[in-house]
Parts: sequence; C-alpha cells; structure tokens
Amino acid sequence: MLERIRYFIVRALRNMRQWPLLCTASILTMAVALATVATFFLVVVNIEQLAERWTNEIQVIAYLQDVPKQQDLPGLIKELKNYPEVEQVTYVSQAKAMKRFSERLGNDADLLEGVRSDLLPASFELGLKPEFRTTDGIAGVLEKLESSLAVEDLRYGQEWLDRFNNFIGMLRFVGALLGAFLLLAALFIVSNTIKLTLYARRDELEIMALVGATMRFIKVPFLLEGAIQGFIGGVISLLFLSVFFTLVVSRYLGTFWLTPADFNLVFLTLWQQFGLVLAGVVLGALGSFSSLRRFVKI
Amino acid sequence: MIQLFNVTKRYSSDSLALKDLTLQIDKGEFVYVTGASGAGKTTFLRLLYAAEKPTRGQILIDNKNISRFRSHQIPFLRRKIGVVFQDFKLLQSRTVYENVAFALEAQGKKRYEVSKKVYQALKEVGLEHRLQRRPVELSGGEQQRIAIARALVVDPLILLADEPSGNLDQEVTLDIMELFKRANARGTTVLLATHDHSLHRRFPRRVLTLDKGKLIGDQQP
Repeated sequence: MLERIRYFIVRALRNMRQWPLLCTASILTMAVALATVATFFLVVVNIEQLAERWTNEIQVIAYLQDVPKQQDLPGLIKELKNYPEVEQVTYVSQAKAMKRFSERLGNDADLLEGVRSDLLPASFELGLKPEFRTTDGIAGVLEKLESSLAVEDLRYGQEWLDRFNNFIGMLRFVGALLGAFLLLAALFIVSNTIKLTLYARRDELEIMALVGATMRFIKVPFLLEGAIQGFIGGVISLLFLSVFFTLVVSRYLGTFWLTPADFNLVFLTLWQQFGLVLAGVVLGALGSFSSLRRFVKI
Repeated sequence: MIQLFNVTKRYSSDSLALKDLTLQIDKGEFVYVTGASGAGKTTFLRLLYAAEKPTRGQILIDNKNISRFRSHQIPFLRRKIGVVFQDFKLLQSRTVYENVAFALEAQGKKRYEVSKKVYQALKEVGLEHRLQRRPVELSGGEQQRIAIARALVVDPLILLADEPSGNLDQEVTLDIMELFKRANARGTTVLLATHDHSLHRRFPRRVLTLDKGKLIGDQQP
C-alpha cells in the first residue's frame, strides 16, 4: 500500500517534470484564478468591514415628555442599561441640549438670546450593542421604551438604517453571485487547461489502458498531479496577494480610499489563507477529475 | 484459448467490419491473420483485447466470455494479453527502461521485481544496453523490439501483433519474427495480423484469411 502511494506520488512529480510547460500553464492558470477570486473576496470583506463601522453611530434617542426628577435619574438610567440591546446610556438634560444647540449654531448662537433654556426636551441617548444595531434590534428597544417611559418622540435613523441594510444585503448578494460566477469561471478555465495537458498526453493514457492499468491506477497520479499543481497555484496566489497587499494596497491605496484614518484594511485571516490553498488543491483535483472522465476510456 | 461464436462487428448501419466469425485458436498456436486493408484484421484483434465490443456473438478467452465484461474487468484481461502495433505506441518522453517497466507497474508489481523482469525482457530482445535511451534516439527496428519487450515482460498468455513489420525493412522483420517465434516456443499463443504474404511463406503457420469482414480461409501449414 505504502509502495503504491509512493509510486503514485513519484509518478505525479515525474509527470510534472516531464511536461514543464504544460505544468507551468496549469499552475499559473490556477494561481491567477484563485488570486482573482481572493481579491474579489477581500474587496467585499473590506467594504463590509468599513460599512460595519458606520453602524457605530446608530443610537436611539428618546425625547421625554416631562423632565425626570433628579433623584429618579440613576434608577431610570439603570433600568435602561438593563435592556439587553443597550450598551450605554447618556442623559441629555434640557440645559445640556440647549448648550449643544448653541454650540452647533456657532457664531449665530446669539440668535438664542432670550430663548428659555427649557425649550428643548430632555432626552436619553441609547448606544446599542453591535449585534443589535439592526432594524429588529432597534424595534425591541423602541417597544420597551414606549412601555416604560413617557416619550414625546423617538429618533433612530430609520431611513438610514433601511438604506444601510439594503446596501449590505445587496453587497452580499452581488458578492455571492459574482464570487460564484468567478469560481465557476475559474473551474472552467482550469478544467480546460488540464484538458489541454491531458490531450497532449492522450497516448500515455491509451498505452496505460492497453497494458492493463486499472481506472484507479491511471487516474490517481493525474488527480494527485492536479492537486499538487493546485497547491502550488494556491501558494503562489497567496504570496502574490500578500505582497501586493503589503506593498501596494495598504501603503498607497489606503491613503486614497475613503476610509477613516484609523481604519486598517483587512487581509485574509490565517484560516482564510489556508482555505485559499485548500481551494487550489480542490480546484486542481476537480479540474483533473472532470477532464479525465473524457480522456480515460478503457 | 480463444473462441469466437458468430461474432459480428458493425460500426454503423453501413459499416460492417466483421461478419459472423466463428473460429477457435488453441493454446500455444501461432496464427497469421491476413487480408487486404479494410478486411477486418485490426477490428478482429481489437475485439480480442476488448478495445471494441462485438455487435453480436460471443468471444471466449481462457474460458471467460469477454463480450460480457464490464469495464472494470477489462484491465485484468489485458494483463494476460500483450499487444504490439505497427506504430510501436511507445512513450517518447520516457526511457527504454521506463517504457517496458510501465506494463509491470500498471499491474502493481514490486520495484525489485520490475527491474529484474525489465532487464530480462530487454536482454531477450537484445536492447539491455539501451536502458536509459529514449525511443526517439533509436531506430524503427529497435523501437519495435522495445514494444515487443513491453508486451512480453508480463508473460502474456496471448501476444497480438497488428502489422508489426509494416514500417520495417526485410532484415529487421526477420529479427522481429524470430522474437515472436521464441515467445511462441515458450507457450504464448501468437496472433499476427499482416498483409505481407512473404511472412507466412517463410515461416509457415496457420493462416486465417479475412475479406470484407468475412472469414474466407483457415489454412493449416
């Protein structure tokens, strides 16, 4: 058994040595295909990551009908903090609201002269935990607020959130669609390149069948060869991506991108890198498998 | 060893390759299959190593009905049959040694067994000194001898040769015939398809004559 495995590996490697051009063509095709898919994946992940940051701004503001008494405030804040969705609570008194408004007016602040400081309502500003920065999460908070406080008005950026949700939904849908299309295209190209390499070696396949080789004996070294080429293609695409990402994207593009200063572009995680190389192995083996079905006939 | 019962092979409705062939070839026989081009010689051989299935009729080899073989059984039939072609069918990218070893490796033989048998087979055909050469560096006659070594290295029960001397001159053809005769003397059944009548005049053996797919002659020497 071990001798057989050794034989298959040796034959796969020898085949690659004997057909260096075909082998290089297959490896490069797979490297380009994998790098294209991975680049697309990175673009989607980074856009999503960036978009996720915008949700930090999401908060629910509850404008109160009556100003709560000073001694009731700690209790109210504690109650609001106990909501599972809420991360932080800020009480904005009427005076503070007026101060903010005045600051926002800047040089025109003197327009407020003579205006009573209790004109603006007091409010609670509720920051939400990341997992509840969604339409459903906000709906839960609104329901609780309406039942426990005398609220004059509630503001939570509904329109913005709907647009954001649509954007993320669309991004994921288009991402999945294009990703699947790219993967299929990659599989098609790889399979055709391997088909060409097998076509060049059809005599070998024919002679193998003639001398009594079983289907498994014929196919395994070719599948292994495809897998090894896929592995090398995967490693090349990963190296190319990391070099490109380190030298070009994060150094130069990051400064032009419409990103906040503290936003770092995301690269593939260790598992995703492993997945990319594994995808190469699977792509190579699958490409060989689908082509072999056509060329190996006993 | 080989029995055919009413074997017909048709490639399409208007292309009849063999018609109603019934014959028997015993173990250890040396048989020529002759006929003009298109008579059905190659199809006849292809049916024997299961590269084709008969349209009708039964073929028994070593008492097994190969016309009913499923594809996974065919490799095991071919391990009992050595095949030699007019165009040698050697792997040009591999050495002489690798070409011959290939047949044994395909059968899963162990490494030490492979090297011993390959050397013996190449010695038998007089090419043991060319182990590391590639086919392209050798003459046509030498290439055919490698093909014969590859066919014989597995100790086949049957050796099929399809116009093996078609591309070779007279002198080399005689050498090749000598190799077939030696294999036959060791007990291998040999079927040699040829349109060269001088061969069976020089080495008289049983002759099956095909014409337009029909067996029109079966002569003993």
